Amino acid sequence: MTARFSDRDMAGKGAATIAWARRGMPLLDVTEARLVGSGALKGLRVGISLVLEPKTANLALALRNAGATVTVTASAGSIADASVIPALEAEGIAVFATPDGSSDEDLRQTRAFLATAPQILIDDGAQVTRLAHKECPDLVAQMIGATEETTSGVRPLTAMHADGQLRLPVVSVNGSRLKYLFDNVYGTGQSCVMALLDVTNLQLAGRKVLVVGYGFVGSGVARHARALGAQVVVAELDPIKALQAFHDGHTVCSVAEAAPTAEVVFASTGIEGVVTAAHVEALPDGAILCTAGGGEYELPMDYLASLAPPSVVRQHVEEYRTAQGRRIRLVAKGACVNCLAGEGNPIEIMDLSLSLQACAVELLAARAGQMEPGIHPIPESVEKSLALERLRLAGASVEPLTDALSAALRKW
Amino acid sequence: MSHTTAIAGHNTDEFRDLVLDGQRRIEWVSRQSPVLNGLVRRMMSDGSLKGARIAVVVHLEAKTAFLAQILADAGADVIVAGSNPRTTNGAVVAALRDRGMTVVAEPDGDMASWEKELLAAADHAPDYIIDDGAELTLRMALHRPDLYKRLKGVSEETTTGTARLYAMSAAGKLPFPALTANNARCKHLFDNRYGTGQTTLQAILRLTNRQIAGARMVVIGYGYVGRGIAEYAKAMGAKTAVVENDPVRALEAHMDGHIVAPAAQALKHAQFVIAATGGMRAVGAPEFAHLPHDVILANAGHHDLEVDVETLAQMASNMSEARPQITTYRLGQRDIHVLSGGALVNIAGGSGHPVEIMDLTFAVQGIGAYHLVNGNLMPGVHVLPKALDDAIAAAKLASMGIVLDQTRPEQQDDFVNLINRIPE
Repeated sequence: MTARFSDRDMAGKGAATIAWARRGMPLLDVTEARLVGSGALKGLRVGISLVLEPKTANLALALRNAGATVTVTASAGSIADASVIPALEAEGIAVFATPDGSSDEDLRQTRAFLATAPQILIDDGAQVTRLAHKECPDLVAQMIGATEETTSGVRPLTAMHADGQLRLPVVSVNGSRLKYLFDNVYGTGQSCVMALLDVTNLQLAGRKVLVVGYGFVGSGVARHARALGAQVVVAELDPIKALQAFHDGHTVCSVAEAAPTAEVVFASTGIEGVVTAAHVEALPDGAILCTAGGGEYELPMDYLASLAPPSVVRQHVEEYRTAQGRRIRLVAKGACVNCLAGEGNPIEIMDLSLSLQACAVELLAARAGQMEPGIHPIPESVEKSLALERLRLAGASVEPLTDALSAALRKW
Repeated sequence: MSHTTAIAGHNTDEFRDLVLDGQRRIEWVSRQSPVLNGLVRRMMSDGSLKGARIAVVVHLEAKTAFLAQILADAGADVIVAGSNPRTTNGAVVAALRDRGMTVVAEPDGDMASWEKELLAAADHAPDYIIDDGAELTLRMALHRPDLYKRLKGVSEETTTGTARLYAMSAAGKLPFPALTANNARCKHLFDNRYGTGQTTLQAILRLTNRQIAGARMVVIGYGYVGRGIAEYAKAMGAKTAVVENDPVRALEAHMDGHIVAPAAQALKHAQFVIAATGGMRAVGAPEFAHLPHDVILANAGHHDLEVDVETLAQMASNMSEARPQITTYRLGQRDIHVLSGGALVNIAGGSGHPVEIMDLTFAVQGIGAYHLVNGNLMPGVHVLPKALDDAIAAAKLASMGIVLDQTRPEQQDDFVNLINRIPE
C-alpha cells in the first residue's frame, strides 16, 4: 500500500512538472489544436523514444489528445525525470522505461515498446529505428515512417540509406532551421553557461573564457558568456567560422596561444582530442575545463587520469594537479556541462523542436505509403508557418509580401 | 539539556558529513578570495581585533562563513546569525560550530524562529555588528535598549540597511558610529550590479527552466541592482523594460537601451517581473491588476515583501506549489507565479552571489570592522575612507596580475599653476 501511495505522490509531482512545462509551450498547444481539429492522427499508433522528461511528456500528451494511441520509451534508457513515468501512466499512456535500469533492462523495455507495433516512430539518435531494422523487419514493413531528433541519429540513418538498408521514410527534424538555429545557439548556449555558474558559484564578468569550436553550440556559448561580461577567445579550425567569430567581436587564435591565460575552457566541437595534454599543462593555476554539447572525448582524459587522483573540491568539480603544480578543475568529469543544468534545454526551445516533431508525424500520416525510404527534410512551408505562429504568440509579426515587393524580388 | 543533545549530535556520522560538506564549501570560497586572504588578513594581523565581540548577521552561507572565520582567526569573538530565515545553509552552520564558533541560526527556519535567533545574537552582547538590512541593529534598538547603548559600531551590507541607519541617525537614535559598507565603491559598484545581476538571472532560469532569449522582462527599480539585472538580461537577448520613479535613473535606463514606462504599461505584456528597488511592496495590489496570465515574479531586493505576497495571498482564489520554489496564485482567470516565496531569489533560490564578488564585499566589511575598532569614529553614519576602498580594488587587480599606470605631473591641468596668480 505504501508503494502505491508513493507512486501516486510521484505521479502528482510528475503531473505538476509536466503542467509547468506546458505553460511555456504555446506552439505545441496551437499544433495540438490543429491536429485535434483535422483528426489527422486519429487511431494512429505513435511510438515516442526521446529523453524522458516533462517537455517530451507534453508531446506524448498532445499526440494522445489528437487521437493517436501513444506509447513511450526512454531513448537509450535516458530518464531525466522519473516522475513523468507514473504521471504519463496515470494519463493512460504506456511507458516502457525503468529508472536506473541496466543496459539489458533498457533493451528489454525497448523491445516491449516495439511490440506495441507503432506505425510512426519519433526517434532520438536513431536508436529504435536501427533496432527495429535489425530485429523486427516485419514491423518495419508495416510502418509508415519515423522522425529523427538529432545529428547523431541522422548520421547512421544516412549511412544505412547509402547501403540500401533503410526501409523507412525518416523525417529529419534535426535538419530544420527551426531546430539547429535555435536549439544549439540559445538553448545549449544558455544552459551550458548558466550550468557552469550554478555549479561553481563563480562570476563571468572579467573572466577570460576560451571557447573551442564556433559551430552553433560554440557560438551560443560565446554569445552568452560575453553577455555576462566575459572576455571571449575563440579557437576554430574552419577559417570562415573563425572569421565569423572575429566579426562577432571575439578574439580569435589557436588553443595553444589562448591556453596560458584561459581561466575557463569550453570545448564545443564534438571532435575527439581537440584539447591536448600540452594545452592543459599550459593553462594557468585554477583553470576550469568543461565541455558544451559534446563529451569528455574532446578533453585529454588519459592525460588527466595519469595525474595523481583528483580531489573533489565541490559537487561536480574535481581538481587535478599538473606536474608544474597547477590546479586544473574538471567539471562533470568532462561530460557536457549542460547535462548538469538539471532540466536540459529551456522549455521554449523544446516547444519549437517538439512542435516540429508533431508536424513531422502529421506529414508522415498525410503521405502514408507515398514517401520513399530515405531522409526527408521538414518542408519549408511547415517550418515557416511554425515560426510565424511563434512570432505571433510573442506579439511580433513579419513584413507582408506586397505585389510590389514580390515584383521587385523577381526583377532582373 | 539542549547543550547535551547538541554534543551527542556532534558525534553522529550525519553531522560529520554535514561538517565536511560545509568545510568544503568554505574552502572553495577561500580559494577564490585573494583580497580576504591577503590584504584583509594582513591588516588584521596587528591583533587589534583580539577579544572584540563581533556579531556577523549576513545570509548564512559559505561566503559569510569565510568572513566569520577570518575575523575569528584575527582573534575576534564571533557570533554568527543569518539575515533571512530562508537563506541559512545547514552544512555551513555545522562547519562553523565544529570549529567552536557560536552560531545562533538554524536552517529551514521561519520568521518566528528567525526573530528568536536575532534576539539570541543580541543577548551575546556584541561590541560590533556586521549587519545586513540593519536587522540586528534595529532589533537591539527596539528590544535590547541597554545592550544597544553599549554597541561600539555597526558595519552595514545593503542599500536597505543604509537607509535605515541614516533614518535612525537623523532621529538622533544612533549613539555609535556606523559604516555603510554598501556605499563603499568596492561594494555597490560590483556586488549590487554584477553579483546580483548575474545570479538573479541564474536563479530565475534554474528554478523555471525557461529561456531568456526573446523573453519580455520587466525590472522594477534602476539602482545598481536593477541596472545589473537589466544589462545582463538584455545582453542575453531579453526584451527589457524598466519601471523607475527617479527621473535621472529613468533617463539612464532609456539611454542604456531599455524601454521605460510606468508599471501599468510595462507590466501588461511581461513574462518575468523582477523587483529590485530594495523597498517594500514595489509590486503590490495596484501592480497585480496589470499582470498578464502566467507571469513569473521574482524579488532581488532585501525585503521579502518587495513582491507583496501577503496581499497576493489574500487576493488569490487558490494557491499551489507548481514546482519546488514556485508558488502559483490564482487571480480571476490569471495565474501569477512567485519564485522562492518572494525572498531574494538569488540566495533563497540559488547559491548567492559569485565568490569573487563577495571577496570584495567582505573585504569592505572586514576592513570596515577593523576601521570601526581603530578609527576613532564619531557616532553617525560613515563611509569607508577612500584610501581603504582604493586599497581593496588595488589588491583585487594585483591578484589578477593587472598593473596600473601612475598619473605623471605634466598630466595635471595647467590651471593649478595659474591659480596662485589670481589676485587675492
